[in-house]
Amino acid sequence: MKSEAVSLPGGMLPEALKTPSVILGPVSLGGLDDQVFAPIEQRPTRAWYVALAIASAVMLLGFAFIGFTFVTGIGAWGNNIPVAWAFDIINFVFWVGIGHAGTLISAILLLFRARWRNAISRFAEAMTIFAVICAAIFPLIHVGRPWLAFWLAPYPNQRAIWPNFRSPLMWDVFAVSTYFSVSLLFWYLGLVPDFASLRDRTKSRLRRFFYSMLSIGWRGSASHWRHFERAYLIIAGLATGLVLSVHSVVSFDFAVSLVPGWHMTIFPPYFVAGAIFAGFAMVVLVLVVVRATMKLDNLITLYHLEVMNKIILTCSCLMGYAYVMEGFTAWYSVNDYIRHTFWQYIAGDYRVAGWTMIACNILIPQLLWVRRFRRSYFTMVFVAIAVTVGMWFERFMIIVGSLHQDYLPSSWQMYRPTLVDYGILLGTFGLFFTLVLLFARVLPVIATTEMKIVLLGSQPRHGGGDHG
Amino acid sequence: MRREGVTRVLAAGAAAGLAGVAACFVSGRERFWANWILWFLFLLTIGLGCLFLVALEHLVAARWSVPLRRVPERLSGLVLLMAPAALLALFSLPVLYPWTAPESLKDPLIAGKAAWLNVPFFALRVVACIGGWILGYRIFVGGSLRQDREKDPRFNVRARRFAPAFMILFGITVTVVAFDWISSLEPAWYSDVLGVYLFAGTFLAGLAATTLVVLHLMARGRLPGVGPDHVYNLGGFLFAFTVFWSYIGFSQYLLMWYANMPEEVFWYKERLEGLWGPLVLALAVLHFFVPFFVLIPRDAKSEPRRLTGVATLMLAAHWLDLYWMIFPVLGKGPLFGWPELSFAVFFISAGLLWLRRDLARGADMPMGDPFLREGLEFRL
Amino acid sequence: MGNQPFSVLGLFDSAQELMDAIRAVKGRVAGRLDAYTPYPIHGMEEALGLRKSPVGGMVFVMGLIGAISALAFELWTEGVDYPVVTAGKPVFSWQPFVPIMFEVTVLFACFTAGLGMLFLLNRLPFFRHPMLGSKSMPLITRDKFALAVEADGQDLDVAAISSALRAAGARAIEVVEQPAPLGPVSPNFLLRVAAGAGIACLAAGYLTYWGVKLFPVTVPMVHMLDQPRLDPQRADGFFKDGFGMRMPVPGTVPRGQVPFTLRGPGDAAGLGNPLPRTESVLGKGRQAFLTYCSVCHGALANGQPSMTAAYGAKPANLMSEKFRDYSDGEIYDVIIRGKNAMPSYSADLSGDECWSVVHYVRALQRALNAKDSDIPMEAPK
Repeated sequence: MKSEAVSLPGGMLPEALKTPSVILGPVSLGGLDDQVFAPIEQRPTRAWYVALAIASAVMLLGFAFIGFTFVTGIGAWGNNIPVAWAFDIINFVFWVGIGHAGTLISAILLLFRARWRNAISRFAEAMTIFAVICAAIFPLIHVGRPWLAFWLAPYPNQRAIWPNFRSPLMWDVFAVSTYFSVSLLFWYLGLVPDFASLRDRTKSRLRRFFYSMLSIGWRGSASHWRHFERAYLIIAGLATGLVLSVHSVVSFDFAVSLVPGWHMTIFPPYFVAGAIFAGFAMVVLVLVVVRATMKLDNLITLYHLEVMNKIILTCSCLMGYAYVMEGFTAWYSVNDYIRHTFWQYIAGDYRVAGWTMIACNILIPQLLWVRRFRRSYFTMVFVAIAVTVGMWFERFMIIVGSLHQDYLPSSWQMYRPTLVDYGILLGTFGLFFTLVLLFARVLPVIATTEMKIVLLGSQPRHGGGDHG
Repeated sequence: MRREGVTRVLAAGAAAGLAGVAACFVSGRERFWANWILWFLFLLTIGLGCLFLVALEHLVAARWSVPLRRVPERLSGLVLLMAPAALLALFSLPVLYPWTAPESLKDPLIAGKAAWLNVPFFALRVVACIGGWILGYRIFVGGSLRQDREKDPRFNVRARRFAPAFMILFGITVTVVAFDWISSLEPAWYSDVLGVYLFAGTFLAGLAATTLVVLHLMARGRLPGVGPDHVYNLGGFLFAFTVFWSYIGFSQYLLMWYANMPEEVFWYKERLEGLWGPLVLALAVLHFFVPFFVLIPRDAKSEPRRLTGVATLMLAAHWLDLYWMIFPVLGKGPLFGWPELSFAVFFISAGLLWLRRDLARGADMPMGDPFLREGLEFRL
Repeated sequence: MGNQPFSVLGLFDSAQELMDAIRAVKGRVAGRLDAYTPYPIHGMEEALGLRKSPVGGMVFVMGLIGAISALAFELWTEGVDYPVVTAGKPVFSWQPFVPIMFEVTVLFACFTAGLGMLFLLNRLPFFRHPMLGSKSMPLITRDKFALAVEADGQDLDVAAISSALRAAGARAIEVVEQPAPLGPVSPNFLLRVAAGAGIACLAAGYLTYWGVKLFPVTVPMVHMLDQPRLDPQRADGFFKDGFGMRMPVPGTVPRGQVPFTLRGPGDAAGLGNPLPRTESVLGKGRQAFLTYCSVCHGALANGQPSMTAAYGAKPANLMSEKFRDYSDGEIYDVIIRGKNAMPSYSADLSGDECWSVVHYVRALQRALNAKDSDIPMEAPK
């Protein structure tokens, strides 16, 4: 936070080296509460109601399509042999990936003690939970008999059989449910002190009752804070392991198989990088709207957005590396099947999807090398949407591109999604944005307690104590 | 004087080691070159890991690491030191690398990649990688050393602007090193995560070497102001990247084990049968289990003695990792005889001699860096 | 306890002031010190002399338990209780068990950290703490910092503590009283709530049981049982005669069988037995004969089975001269196409099996019409 000039023999510090403040302008502890809690304590705007109406309408449409699938069967989708897995798994991987940015921001950046994280961690974590909810719909509905989905759980049963723990699909069940519960726990823990603030501010008895319940009697005692901080840091460290492992386990769904184009050892880190990539794009997209509509631009500054754009750019380069590696290894392997699959990505039946993927993931984000673009709403929204689209198409190419033409030419078949497929995908976007909109008006979108920690002057000067 | 004593011991060791190395050259050409490749890659990866660390610090504009940055800057000189070793290693190609033999082109698996695996292109890649690394060294390290004198903050701006380009260069060169020197020992095999795997080991080796030298300098009071909080960060990174290396290594193994495709899994089969099995177990214990459990407690990450032990262990484990990847191509079980010992004595003594000489001159911290004071004031 | 206060609070405006005050007051007042802050303050633990948090140790132990129990569970279920070979891998292979082991470890560790911290270490939820009803609490959660001197068994000297706090820089002092006695939320009320919750759980359990039992057999969940297909032994409107089960189309040939092309006895007469006369062929022929032929023709093929009297037919005596003169192909033809009352056995016996039966019949015929030259001429020893 030192943006004062440092005088040197060579002159003043160049502008490019000054670290921007994470908070613009003077903000007091109490003022922070007032600013962040305002949307919760005031009536929502008309724009919010309109947005909620649209989002929930889309969501309900999606639910209707899901209900139709439930009653009719998976035949309502475009899945068939050979592309037996299509939109269901694409959308699942897509949404789980989007969730990872939230955990990275709230957990990994906490471990790095990056101060800019505090303003956006709450929102990012909420987005993780909402994204995982959207993702979890798909494994449940894509089984032929969803009412028997509880068979996936390992409980003693009269069938006298256990789930197959050797299968990556079971690893998925454990990984995604662990990820969801840990993210929920982490999010809730961070919310407890904020609920205490809300409890003590509110005049409404009903709200006071709910906030009391949710804050479970938190009183800010120092003896509690030390346990809290320790637990929070430990969960952050463990959640970091989850970020790596959950999307790696999702990648194992594909990589342990023999399908050409799927069995590439680079899949685990490649999927994790892609998840962070897609997730940050969604975070940037939503934060631009939050910043513009909720009067929080001194707390969620352009600096925050710029840093996130740099991360998007980094991930774009990592994805480029992964694509080059896959292409190179496909050639290097001298394996006709793998070579054919990769050739199909760029010149086959789905080449439009393939080139969309490359353009959106690798080419368009290169705009972010330019500082002006990193700080421009228009460019960053454009890039974020492009990345979201590109990452969806990437999953499409991996799954459909590999499955529709694998080993036996007699089994090759085009895949065509149906209206129900599109409807459910759209519905999950509706669900996600409905939850985001509700969250923005019901819960504090910025973790006020964590923000207070990084306000100027909020911590005592170090008086000779080292913290070990 | 004690200092002279240590130098004399190291010099004697280097000489004795060199004699053994020369003897090995005469007695067993294959084994000589296997050891040469192993040691050249070991020291090269330490240097590359340190150069990456320096570039990373510039890329994210880290402040806490500024007082420590001179250490990895110095250690990245190993890259320059290993450049001639790499060029000499080109002579190992006909001995160890099957694709150099003209008859190998009868095998379609090798003929299909002959456009990449041929001696002229290989040599060109080696030279290009070395060129890239020298460029990075000059910009980051040369610029930092110059900044000591000139105190010009524009170096930081230049380094920060160059860092992303260097990262891309680094990613490509580490992948090329992995594919060329390690993977092409058995040209039928391929794994596209090998570049990431070598990167993980490289960064970890660079971190471990940096930690060792930082602790060594701190013990002698040469880094005033650097305290337990800085060391804790180093320990934290060591811990995190131990987990990262293990994750990449295990997932490569799991995927190949699970699919069990003969054209891939033979590489693992060679490296798990016979005495190699216990060696791999030792590698897992030394490279993951011991550092992981030792570094879990918060205090352990900033305790100098424990960190020294873990960092040394990590360097040894990195060596074992490279050994395990390279030596099975000799077709015998794990070999630990006088050639290996001579190479170890020679390279370690020579390396330490060079390091001592380098540490003796120049400043121990980047004195010209405008953020030095802020870095020293860092507290968790 | 009457009117004894719970604690005396000094309020400060910044974290720095609070830390200075702690250093000034610690050890000089009677009572236990605690600080109340809107966010965690660096150095607070050391300043107040609080012990280090045991969360780390708890997490480590539970994480280890999670790892071991997950691995043990997986090995037991997949290796011992119901071993299934997956992808040709050994049943006790540890490699595929690692991902779930890792996830369960993280799950156990995180929940120990989060819930252990809240429930065990902080003893939350707890709504009756005196601080929650104090006037300072809203100030503290907003932007003020409080140093509390709490009664540590003995009574508090309010005046002395207040002056010490004021001397240390407190902007305001508050004496926090013990909480008021329970209002409407009495033990009786809580008991009734608990009873209601218990009954609700029982009802929910009962309903769940019936729901889970009946749900899968309710339309539309039954739709996979209700398939538009022809079931055996059920009428169906698809075919005009209403039968679901159909005969195979004329000319249908079973798998693995070459279609029989014989049209008349003359066709078969010329066929020779393609099978060699070996013990195994004769054994198979005997087996098939006893299964299919001996019912009518008798075990010795002499036309005297046990069942003729029951249905009044007259099966042929295969040992008679007429049938001894039949060629192999003619016997084969009778088996395949049937003759008179004997049905065709082409659906029951494959071509090879028929030929082995022919061999067997020939062996029987030879056995019941043996010549002197068949007996070996060796003197017993």
